[in-house]
Amino acid sequence: MEYGPDQANEDKGLGRRNRTIAGRDLHFDQEGFFWDSQEWFEEAAEIMAHEAGLARLTETHWRVIRFLREYYNTQGRAPLNRQLKAGTGLSLMDLEGLFPGGIKNGARRLAGLPNPKTCADGV
Amino acid sequence: MRSVNLTINGRQRRVVTTADKVLLDLLRDDLGLTGTKQSCDKKGQCGACMVIINGRAVRSCLTKVASLEGADIITVEGLGTPENPHLIQEAFVLSGAIQCGFCTPGMIMSAKALLDKDPDPDEEAIKKALRHNICRCTGYTKIIDAIKLAGRFLRGEITPDQVRPDPDGPKVGVSHPRPSALAKACGTAEFTADIKVPGTLALAVVRSPYAHADIKGVDSSLAEKMPGVAGVMTAKDIKGTNRLKLAIADRPLLCEDKVRSLGEAVAIVAAETPEKARAAAEAVKVDYQVLEVLDSPAKALAEGAPQLHPHSPNLCYSQPQIKGDAEAALAGSAAMVEHRFSTSIIHQSPLEPEACVAWLEEDPEGDEPILTVVGRSINIHAHLAGLQAALGYENMRYLEAYSGGQFGLKLEITSEGIAAAAALHFQSGVRYIPSLAESMLMTSKRHSFNMKVRMGADDQGRITAYTNDFMVDKGAYFSIGQGILVRTLGMLSGSYNIPNIKALGKIVYTNNPYGSAARGAGPPQGNFALECTVEMMARKLGQDSLDFRLKNSLLPGQTKSTGRAAEQWPIPELIEKIRPHYDRAVAEAAAHKEGPVRRGVGLGCGSFGISLAGDAAVAAVELDPDNGVSVYAAAADPGEGNDAMFTQLAAHMLDLPLDKVRIHLRDTDNTTAAGPAAGSRITFMVGGALQDAINQLKEAMEEAGARTYQGLVDAGKPVRYLGRKKTTFAAPPMDPETGQGPGFEVEIHAIQMAEVEVDIETGQASVVKMTAVVDAGTAINPQNIMGQLEGGMDMGAGLALREKYVAGETTDWKTYKFPTMEYYFDKEVLIHETPRINATQGAIGVGEMALVPTAPAIINGIYDAAGVWVTNLPATPDKIKAALAGQG
Repeated sequence: MEYGPDQANEDKGLGRRNRTIAGRDLHFDQEGFFWDSQEWFEEAAEIMAHEAGLARLTETHWRVIRFLREYYNTQGRAPLNRQLKAGTGLSLMDLEGLFPGGIKNGARRLAGLPNPKTCADGV
Repeated sequence: MRSVNLTINGRQRRVVTTADKVLLDLLRDDLGLTGTKQSCDKKGQCGACMVIINGRAVRSCLTKVASLEGADIITVEGLGTPENPHLIQEAFVLSGAIQCGFCTPGMIMSAKALLDKDPDPDEEAIKKALRHNICRCTGYTKIIDAIKLAGRFLRGEITPDQVRPDPDGPKVGVSHPRPSALAKACGTAEFTADIKVPGTLALAVVRSPYAHADIKGVDSSLAEKMPGVAGVMTAKDIKGTNRLKLAIADRPLLCEDKVRSLGEAVAIVAAETPEKARAAAEAVKVDYQVLEVLDSPAKALAEGAPQLHPHSPNLCYSQPQIKGDAEAALAGSAAMVEHRFSTSIIHQSPLEPEACVAWLEEDPEGDEPILTVVGRSINIHAHLAGLQAALGYENMRYLEAYSGGQFGLKLEITSEGIAAAAALHFQSGVRYIPSLAESMLMTSKRHSFNMKVRMGADDQGRITAYTNDFMVDKGAYFSIGQGILVRTLGMLSGSYNIPNIKALGKIVYTNNPYGSAARGAGPPQGNFALECTVEMMARKLGQDSLDFRLKNSLLPGQTKSTGRAAEQWPIPELIEKIRPHYDRAVAEAAAHKEGPVRRGVGLGCGSFGISLAGDAAVAAVELDPDNGVSVYAAAADPGEGNDAMFTQLAAHMLDLPLDKVRIHLRDTDNTTAAGPAAGSRITFMVGGALQDAINQLKEAMEEAGARTYQGLVDAGKPVRYLGRKKTTFAAPPMDPETGQGPGFEVEIHAIQMAEVEVDIETGQASVVKMTAVVDAGTAINPQNIMGQLEGGMDMGAGLALREKYVAGETTDWKTYKFPTMEYYFDKEVLIHETPRINATQGAIGVGEMALVPTAPAIINGIYDAAGVWVTNLPATPDKIKAALAGQG
C-alpha cells in the first residue's frame, strides 16, 4: 500500500485526540490535556474525573481546580506547587493525593490547563 | 609566574600571570570584563574577543598576557556606556547592525581601530579590517553600513540625533532602535557565560566517542579521587524520567545502556575548576560495546539493519499528500521534468556556544529549594516542564539570558539538562561552559533531505502536476519528528497553483546527529527542489524564468498543496516589483557569458506558512502605576527583534512613548506560556495575543472613562489583561492519509534573485549580489525586516555553496566553512506591504522566509552561468567542476 499511513505512525500516539463530551466536540493532546483551555467546562471536568477513577469532584477538588483556572486566566501559565499550596491552603501531599495522576497529570488536566510540554505542534 | 604592568581602559594594573594565560581569560575571568566574548575555542576564528592593544585590533584569545608589558588595552567597556555611548556604538544601534549582539563588541573594537586610522574607509577597507570578525545574523551588510555611519559621526558630518527616528513620532512603520541594542553594543548585556554565581562547581561531561554502542559499565572510581573533584554522576543518579521529550520521550539526558550518536553524554563530572573537571572526565572509564553505525537512511532501512529504538522501526514516521490525480496529469502533460535533489546536515551555527548556569536558592514559601536555570531556551515554560519531568523536581525557575543567536537550535534542551541535573545531584550551584566543539556535538541540526521529484506542464506553460518522494534523515532522536513532514508538505507547492500533487515524506532514524528546528525546518529543503524544478521546466519550455513564475503563481481563491484556499497571495506584485532588477541583472550577465568566469541570474520564490492549525498563544499587559504598561510573554528574542516588535506594538496601540513600555520576556516566574519562539510565529501569534490583551485594556479604559492606572482602580477595573490568539481548531493541520487540511494560517511571501559568478576552471561559484522583494504584511520595523532578509540570504548562500556538518570532522568555524567577510556579497531588500487579514496590525514574522528562496536562486544562477545542474548541496567547487567535466 504505497500511500497508506505507516503503522509506525499509529504506534506513536502522536497528535490530537478529539472527543465529544456532554455533546460538545473537544480537542485534547496525546496526553489527554485540553488543547484549548477555553473549551473546558465544569461538566467535562466531572466526566473526566469519573473516568480517572474519582467518584465525584468534592468541594476540595473544585477549590484546586478553580484556583488553577483563575491563576492561568490571569497569569497565562500554570502555578508552581509552591503557588498552588499558598493559593489553596493544602499541603503538597494532600494535593498530590487528591487527584489521580497527581497535580500535573491530574489536577491540571482536569482544570483544562494546556500541557506545557506540547510545543512541537502549531509550529 | 610573571608580573606584567599594563593599562586597561585607562586604568594601570599589575597582574601576575602564568606563561600561557591569554588576555581573553584575564579580561573575562579575573577582571569581569565580560563584554569581550568567546565563540571559537581560542583559535582566532570568530573575532568576538577583539580588543584594541596599542592602537591595533587584536584577538585577545591569541594574545598571551605575559607579552603585554606596558601595553595599552581598550575593551568594549572602555568605549562607552549605555548612558554615554561612543559614536561607533550609536552607529551600530542606529544602523540595525545588532541582532543577537554576541559578535557586536568584537565588531565595534575592529571598527574603532580602523576608524582611528582611517576615518573615511571604503567598503574594501572595512571588509579587510573585519576579516577576523564573524557574524551569523546580519550577513554583514548593516555592519558595513554602521561603520560608514560611524565615520560620518566621527567626521562631524552628521549627529546621531539627526539619524535617530523621532521617539515621539509614529511607532509602527519606523525603524526605532531595538530596546536591547545599546546594552549589546556596550557589552553590558549578559549572556549566559557572563553570569557569575559564587561558589559554583564547574562541570565537564564524559561523551561517547562512538556513534552507536552499548554501555556495559561506567567506572568513575579514579576520577572521583582526583583533586578538587566533587563527584561523578550518571543516569542512575537522575530521579526523574531522564528523558528530554518533545514529541516522543526517546532522548536521554544521560545515556543509560546505549549510545545512538557521536558525543552523547554518559556522565557528568563536577569539580572546583573547569580544568579539574575536564581532567577527571578523561579519567572516567566507560566500557562500550561498539555496534554497527547506521549513518544514512539507506543503511537504516536495509534488510537486517539493527532497530535503533525499541518503540519504533527505523522508518519512524511517514506522511503522504494527495491532491487531485498527479499520475494522470503527468501522463497528459506536454512536458515533464524529473530530477533528484539532496541537502546536507547543517549546523544552525549561532555564534554563542552552549552554556548554562544553575543554582539552588532558599524558597521562603516552600520546603524544597528553588532550582534556577539560566540558559537560552526559546520556549522557557516548555523547557521548565521538560526539566521538571526529566529530573523529577518541581520547584524550578528558568531565566533566559541574552542569546547569541539560535536559529531553531534552542527548541531543544541541551546544556541546561546537564547543569540542572548536576545542581540537583551535587546540591550546588554549577557552571557548564562547554567548548564550541562540544557544543556542536550536543546540539540538534538541520535535517538532510533526499528528494525525487517530477513536474508536468501543459503546452501553455502551466504547471499541471508535481510529485515529491522525500526521505529525511532523522538522526538519532525524534525531536519535532512529524513536524518536519507536516511543515514541508504544508508548503510543498510553494508560491504556485499546482492542481495535482502526490508526495510522500518519510523520516528515518539513523546514528547521525538528531535533526530538529532549524530556520525554516523542512521547507527550505522542499522549496529548493521545487524552485529548481520550476526553473528546469521554464527552460525546457523555452519560457522566461520570471514570466513562467508569474504565469504559475497561485491567486487568491486557488488552493495550496494542502487543499486550503489562499486569501491573500501577493506573489504577482512581488514579481513585478523585482522585474526591473531582473532585467538589469540579465542584461549585465549577458556580457559575461564567455571566458573563465561566467555570470548567471537565478530566481527563487517562497511562500512560507506561519502557524499551523491548533496553534495558541497567550500574552498579558498590565497598566503600571505611572500609566506606562508592562508586557508579559515568554517570547525569546535571540536576535530577530521581538523586543522592538512588542514595544512598538504596545506603544502604537496605546499611544504611549516607547520608554513607557516595559517588556518581560525571559523569566518563567513572570511571563505567560506563549509557546516557542519558532516557526516565525511570534509576531503573528504572541503579538496577536498582546493585541487582544491591549484591546481588552482599552475597552476597560473606555468603560471606566479613564486612561490612567488610578482611574481604572477607582472604577473597580482590573489593570492586568490576558490576551489570546489561536488558529483554527476545526481539524488537525493535515489528514494522515491525504495530507489535506487547514495547514498554515497565513503566509509570508518573497522572491529572491541571485547574481552568481562561476569560475569554470576551478568550479568556484560566488554570489555577486542577492536581491529580495519581501511581503511580511505591515512593516512594524522595516530595518528589522531588512536585517532578517540580509542575514537569511547569507545563511541560504552557505546552505547552497559551502555548509555541511559532519559529526567528528566539523569541530569549529573553519571546518564548518562559516560565512566570513571573505564570502560577503551585496544585498538589496525591497519591502512590499500587504497588510494581512487577522494579523497583528497586519504584520507577520519574517525570520525563516529569509532563506527559503535563496539556495534555489543560487543553484538556478549557477545553471544560468555555467549550464550545469548541481543539486546535491552544497554545490562545492569539486561538484561543479565534475558537472562541467560531465557536460564536456
